[in-house]
Amino acid sequence: MTKSQVSLRGRDILELQGMSVPEMELILDTAREMKNVIDRDIKKVPTLRGKSVVNLFFEPSTRTRTSFELAGKYLGADVVNITTSASSVVKGESLRDTLLTVEAMGVDVIVMRHEAEGSSHYAAKVVKPVIVNAGDGQHEHPTQGLLDMFSIKEKKGSIAGLKVAIIGDILHSRVARSNIWALLKLGAEVRVAGPRTLLPRDMDRMGVQVYDRVEPALEGADVVNILRIQKERQQKGLFPTAREYARLFGINRARLDLAKPDALVLHPGPMNRGLEIAPDVAYSDQSVIQEQVKNGLAIRMAILFLVLMGGTNVETSA
Amino acid sequence: MLKLVLKGGRIIDPAQKIDKVGDVLIEDGVIAKVGGDIDAAGAEVFDARGLVVAPGFIDMHAHLREPGQEAKEDFASGTRAAAAGGFTTVCTMPNTRPAVDDAVLVNGLIRRAELERLVNVKIIGAVTKGQEGKELAEVGDMLQAGAVALSDDGRHVANAKILRTGFEYAGMFGGLIISHAEEASLVEDGFMHEGAVSAMLGLKGRPAVAEDIAVGRDVMLAEYTGGRLHVAHVSTAGAVELIRRAKARGVKVTAEATPHHLTLTDEAVIGYDPATKVNPPLRSQEHVDALVAGLKDGTVDCIATDHAPHAFEEKDVEFRYAPSGFTGLETAVGVVLTGLYHSGKLTLPEVIEKLAAAPARVLGLEAGSLKAGAAADVTVLDPAAEWTVDSAKFYTRGKCTPFEGKRLKGRAVATIVGGRFVMKDGEVCG
Repeated sequence: MTKSQVSLRGRDILELQGMSVPEMELILDTAREMKNVIDRDIKKVPTLRGKSVVNLFFEPSTRTRTSFELAGKYLGADVVNITTSASSVVKGESLRDTLLTVEAMGVDVIVMRHEAEGSSHYAAKVVKPVIVNAGDGQHEHPTQGLLDMFSIKEKKGSIAGLKVAIIGDILHSRVARSNIWALLKLGAEVRVAGPRTLLPRDMDRMGVQVYDRVEPALEGADVVNILRIQKERQQKGLFPTAREYARLFGINRARLDLAKPDALVLHPGPMNRGLEIAPDVAYSDQSVIQEQVKNGLAIRMAILFLVLMGGTNVETSA
Repeated sequence: MLKLVLKGGRIIDPAQKIDKVGDVLIEDGVIAKVGGDIDAAGAEVFDARGLVVAPGFIDMHAHLREPGQEAKEDFASGTRAAAAGGFTTVCTMPNTRPAVDDAVLVNGLIRRAELERLVNVKIIGAVTKGQEGKELAEVGDMLQAGAVALSDDGRHVANAKILRTGFEYAGMFGGLIISHAEEASLVEDGFMHEGAVSAMLGLKGRPAVAEDIAVGRDVMLAEYTGGRLHVAHVSTAGAVELIRRAKARGVKVTAEATPHHLTLTDEAVIGYDPATKVNPPLRSQEHVDALVAGLKDGTVDCIATDHAPHAFEEKDVEFRYAPSGFTGLETAVGVVLTGLYHSGKLTLPEVIEKLAAAPARVLGLEAGSLKAGAAADVTVLDPAAEWTVDSAKFYTRGKCTPFEGKRLKGRAVATIVGGRFVMKDGEVCG
């Protein structure tokens, strides 16, 4: 399959595990052109005029929801946001009925964030509009994975052969599960590291190297992908204290120096500064954390464009 | 005198070590003669040529949902499903609303079953009041009222002292305690087997060791008290090995495995179909292999369905919110014949032993054999019949099954209870 034959038109974007390399490359290439649109003075283009996108968010989110909203709007689509606190879900409406209601309004794309793993798979079976998974529980966050690939590729040129360390709460991380598949498919060597209580059992069967100390994972790494630590994990007894986590597993300057001097630092945000990431790492020249936010917008524009309009000839003229 | 002759079938009755082609004569609801060429003058004749005539199958683990959750299933729909699936006796678990934890309920359900049933229904009472694991239920009274066993199925009796008391007290009445063996603290919030697939799907896992620990403790308590333990739906290699060793020491322990744990792995969960959510969860291949080996060598005594029907809307949700369990009565025989017999893992006599003689032996029922004088409960199989699972055709109210759309080879084609057809050619009679 060559890239020119690839089309994502009408395709649900549920996970990176099932996405082919040409599909990923098509999205990354399209995002590059979309990034030019973001940098323009007048960002709005009419590409998706007459199309409608619903952001159906069952979990709180600032960056992902805003990113999808602006992605749709910059491309001229009509975008509506539904958050559960203001929807019939609080009255006990089932996910099926919520989806059917949204579908009945003629929506073209449903971007869904939901706390249950596989919920986007369920949605894709229940309704016809294209489903874009904006994070399903601890399963995947495919647009985050793609924006991370974009960020790495932009700085490093290629992903093949890179050593990438993913550090932190792997067990509960949908970002980790998307990034692992994408990185492996694109030819990187993937190491995951964190306290053993935050590492899924048998994870090595996914094709990654698993470490319960961060130092060996960082050694010689080209990319350091730091994950957010949720404080409730500590309350559930999965690690003793935030202080101990920061001391033993937090990425500070000294630890980062184990990686290559030009290693990139990624974090999906929001950051717990001083816990999983030290401020001098977060704001160092190696950090691309802010750039990731812009790249996320470009990726989401690319995805909305590709699932609605097809595979080639990005028309971005105003 | 009502006479029925099953003509020219392969008669397999493991309890009597019979495996031969011949006729079976049923008179007035009891088995009159087995084998040979029987004169069918004046009798109804069923042509069993090319078919297998077996003792009626007994499902010692089903949820018929009476009382309290009749929208999911009741005795009428559940026993029709049993008849359709080739079962002549079905035992119903007490995790109903309210839980079956006293003799009044046992008596009431026995009476209800007499009115509604199409096949024989046996009642299992709870070990503890309300199945809450805190106080022993009136187990003696329930056993004397006709309960065939005791179980807090759906929950493990977590308090070791209460289970010890249960073994000692029920032991006075010869009572069998069926354990849902699972260390609760290790499985809370888990949705599937913990392993490579759960790591990939991001679903919290239920580790196999949780079952091993619980089986280990229960076996030790049975050994210490001399009580009779039956381990429900065994699903782990560790549990099989613990039971094997306990049996070798002479502990009074028996065990069952379900058709789904014997044939499916946790890879079935990929895709998040709530129809694959069950407790204990579908395990990895090494556990499935150990389970089949245990069944083969007798460590696992019998096959039970754990038929657990749920309403459509309960299962039509995100995986993590779906209740565990699915229907099994109408797929069990096809799944077992396809996955264990046609794959060469078990012989037909072994399959029939696991579905008829063994559960009867475990429960102490006068059933599971075609011996002369026994009630004429018979299951007729067509091991070669190929069919596709279509839940729309199920008699059970629970339409959810992980085998939906699967092509199976082998099924029950007739079910006879007390000498009367309750299912013929796949159609339930009455």
